Amino acid sequence: MTTSTIEAVVPGEQIKESETDHPLGNGGRQIIQAHSEEDISNVLQYANEHVLTVNIMSGGTKRGYGGTMKEADILLSLANYKGIVEHSVGDLTLTVRPGTTLKEISDQLAESGQCLALDPPWPELATIGGIVAANDSGCKRLLYGSARDLVIGTRIVYVDGRVIRTGGKVVKNVAGYDMNKLFIGAMGTLGVISEITLKLRPLPKYEGLSLVHFPDGGEQKMHDVARCILDSMMEPVSLEVLTPSISEKLTGERLYTLVIAFEDQEKAVIQQEKWVTEHLPSGVTQTILSEQEASEWWDAFRHQGPNGHNDDPDATDTQAALKLGSLPSDVPANLKIAEELAGVHHVSLEAHGGAGHGISRVYLNGFPEDIIAFTKALRSAVENKHGYVICTHLPFEMRPAADVWGEKPAYFSLLEGIKQTNDPKKLLNRQRFVGGI
Amino acid sequence: MFRKKQAKQKPDAVASALITIAGKENVLYLKEDLLSYECDGYTLERGMPRAVVFVRNTQHVADVVKQLNALGVPYIARGAGTGLSGGATPRGGEIIISLVRMKRLLELDLENRQAVVEPGYINLKLTQSISDKGYYYAPDPSSQYACTIGGNVAENSGGAHCLKYGVTTNHILGLEVVLPSGEMMEIGKSGVPDQPGYDLLGLLTGSEGTLGIVTKITVNILKNPEGKKTALAYFDDIDDASQAVSDIIATGIIPAALEMMDEIAIEGVEASAYPVGHPRDIAAFLLIEVDGIQAGIDDQIDDILTVCKSNHVRDVKVAQDEAERSMWWANRKMGFGAMGAISPDYLVQDGVIPRTRLPEVLTRITEISRKYELRIANIFHAGDGNLHPLILFDARVPGESDRASKAGSECLQVCADVGGSITGEHGVGIEKSAEMRFIFSDEEMRAQTDIRHVFNPDDLLNPGKLFPEPGRCVEVKHNEKKEAAASIN
Ligand SMILES: Cc1cc2nc3c(=O)[nH]c(=O)nc-3n(C[C@H](O)[C@H](O)[C@H](O)COP(=O)(O)OP(=O)(O)OC[C@H]3O[C@@H](n4cnc5c(N)ncnc54)[C@H](O)[C@@H]3O)c2cc1C
Repeated sequence: MTTSTIEAVVPGEQIKESETDHPLGNGGRQIIQAHSEEDISNVLQYANEHVLTVNIMSGGTKRGYGGTMKEADILLSLANYKGIVEHSVGDLTLTVRPGTTLKEISDQLAESGQCLALDPPWPELATIGGIVAANDSGCKRLLYGSARDLVIGTRIVYVDGRVIRTGGKVVKNVAGYDMNKLFIGAMGTLGVISEITLKLRPLPKYEGLSLVHFPDGGEQKMHDVARCILDSMMEPVSLEVLTPSISEKLTGERLYTLVIAFEDQEKAVIQQEKWVTEHLPSGVTQTILSEQEASEWWDAFRHQGPNGHNDDPDATDTQAALKLGSLPSDVPANLKIAEELAGVHHVSLEAHGGAGHGISRVYLNGFPEDIIAFTKALRSAVENKHGYVICTHLPFEMRPAADVWGEKPAYFSLLEGIKQTNDPKKLLNRQRFVGGI
Repeated sequence: MFRKKQAKQKPDAVASALITIAGKENVLYLKEDLLSYECDGYTLERGMPRAVVFVRNTQHVADVVKQLNALGVPYIARGAGTGLSGGATPRGGEIIISLVRMKRLLELDLENRQAVVEPGYINLKLTQSISDKGYYYAPDPSSQYACTIGGNVAENSGGAHCLKYGVTTNHILGLEVVLPSGEMMEIGKSGVPDQPGYDLLGLLTGSEGTLGIVTKITVNILKNPEGKKTALAYFDDIDDASQAVSDIIATGIIPAALEMMDEIAIEGVEASAYPVGHPRDIAAFLLIEVDGIQAGIDDQIDDILTVCKSNHVRDVKVAQDEAERSMWWANRKMGFGAMGAISPDYLVQDGVIPRTRLPEVLTRITEISRKYELRIANIFHAGDGNLHPLILFDARVPGESDRASKAGSECLQVCADVGGSITGEHGVGIEKSAEMRFIFSDEEMRAQTDIRHVFNPDDLLNPGKLFPEPGRCVEVKHNEKKEAAASIN
């Protein structure tokens, strides 16, 4: 049965005409709000029958991440499809709808002394659906892993309206292919995530945070300290390098800074902080924050960079964000190169990267052509060491020139084959992903 | 399924082609040589391969695959053959591509906590060869002294310490694979995280050798924990032991391992080569290990002892030294094999349940045991709800193999009923393909086979595994097994 109009598919009050011309693109001529999985399924089925393209959005924090189509026929909003479906306290698992923000999840879990060990930025705006679809993460992935380590099940609405369960609700499961993995980081190009089940952790008993500042020219020392900790039996949850510019903003010191955090029993945290103090070379300064200060510090840290809503339309400068992936040991050097290139290309830069996990984030401000030139130069430097550079936030107009995803991987035909299998008409988030998928 | 050929003294055309690629010393084709490749660690179903080729390098794998494609002959990758679901078992007539001679440790990058190994490298060897530097490889299946890391990747294997450290997929950073097209692909280049593109690493891990043949693996290695303590807690009532498991987790501790064995399992391990001297009249014991920063360990173990005491533990003790700890672990890790001491045959099952449903599931397993008049021992990773009911039977008694298989299937149904899974670490293989229907609809399985088609369009790589053949329900499977078992004996 084909349905002739969208009004027959979802109630009229859930349909809106599009806002005009969003500078980040990824919009839709019609905005449809889903209030249920059935809504999602009906809208997709309708789109599939009528060959209409569909963009998917929840909190909109990643609206500037990929996409070379200004708007699709439909913008499917999941922002109102939210809430916790089931929190099984004894099993340390949570099932949640995609439009729920990370903050809503964290607040709810904290009441039972538990948490979801994901710490990407902007927790009150970013929804779990978007975080999983974009595979976003924060510095504590060093110890706790990223979405692929925490998602144990999903419900996916395929483009033809089928609802497919992947994984399950138990923490260990190898029945069939690990289909969860396909949808994590797929940027919504393979299906709409309508429910997610995640593995939880108990809230840490105690949180410790030290900031270690290195004097000018102390990058090698910093590299050595990071390696020394990683080669020890200490168990940091984060070992994040801050460039001087972002460090000044967050710590008051315009110096390379290492953010060393521990989460454990209080005794274990104190013991590790002591160990770090004893192993620091001369000439560096260490500030150990109280638990309260640490929590405020992380809060500030997680409110850096573009969030899809904080671009200033009147500013002469443009803001952009990049994600770098590299070997962990290359992180300090990559950040140093980024800093130098920022000078060459006249962009202002704030950056941080995980000396133990290999993901770095670069936030930029400058003229569009400078940002593009900088990105290209940085990409070629990072790729030389087998790393990559992705543009996680750029105004729509700049994306083609900046080449959001970089070179296609050698196995691109497999990616295309998977896309073809799940969404043969290429309707879902068209051109949002690697190689124009 | 495939026409069986009578093995001849001279290599047939296919074996000759394999010899041309890999050399005579690397090909088996005589029937007597092929017998040990009829099945893996799951012995209820068997099939004869057509030949076995021991590849020495990635090029061999690619050449063999291309050659077999050209000839239209199906093939199966095989590691140590310790799999427990028939993943490496032929349906009949396949070529076995054995990776056991690709067994080198290729690179060690301590700075980035990475090691690169060939697929035939044995799991335990990795830990042994880096332990002097203070590192280890976390996934520790009980078969780790024999199984290969390639097999671990294919099965997404777990182990006792996965509760805290995760299963194989959480430790794989890169793979080199030969696809069924014969093309070689490097995925997760150099171990750099979050490569742009769909997560093929995650998809390939646990695909039971049906999407590609893994020829090189980059794994994440970990630094040894600073401190470690192991406790053994004896309970008179299995419900108390189950409750203790939940209460330990509720204290906010994630133990490195939290294992349980019931009375029959204890009878088995005490009769085996690694007895510990467990009291024989207890209902269950918990083997609990915590590790991490030394300064926090004592508090954790104290909290655990308190939980055990509040759950009426009869006796609880902490290992006094490494020798005692090792003895407890050897006793646990040899648990499956130990059943051989009290039963001529046993079938290992591998269901998963939400941890909180443990008491009711154990009760239902007891009922299944009564119904089929077969003893069922329980050894399991209690912390993550991964049960291993071991169904004891005697294949020489007519009908017992069949009853064992049915009882196993019913245990999995119980797991599915409480919202769990039919396998936590051993894989689906041949054994549980019909039971996939307990947890997935036909439409959901089709979504998976559609993905297989992208990688393995002609289904020449490990055909007939993982998914039920259309129309093949559990009943049909049991009848087939009955015939298979009859033909073995
Ligand atoms: C006594 C005993 C205890 C066990 N304990 C555990 C345990 O605690 N946890 C656990 O998870 N498992 C356990 N197992 C099961 C088994 O050891 C694991 O599944 C192991 O990973 C299999 O490795 P293998 O090298 O023997 O693989 P095989 O049995 O040879 O093959 C297993 C599957 O992997 C595929 N395969 C093998 N190599 C490759 C490759 N290079 N590329 C692609 N596919 C490949 C095969 O086709 C097959 O489908 C146990 C088994 C036994 C016998």
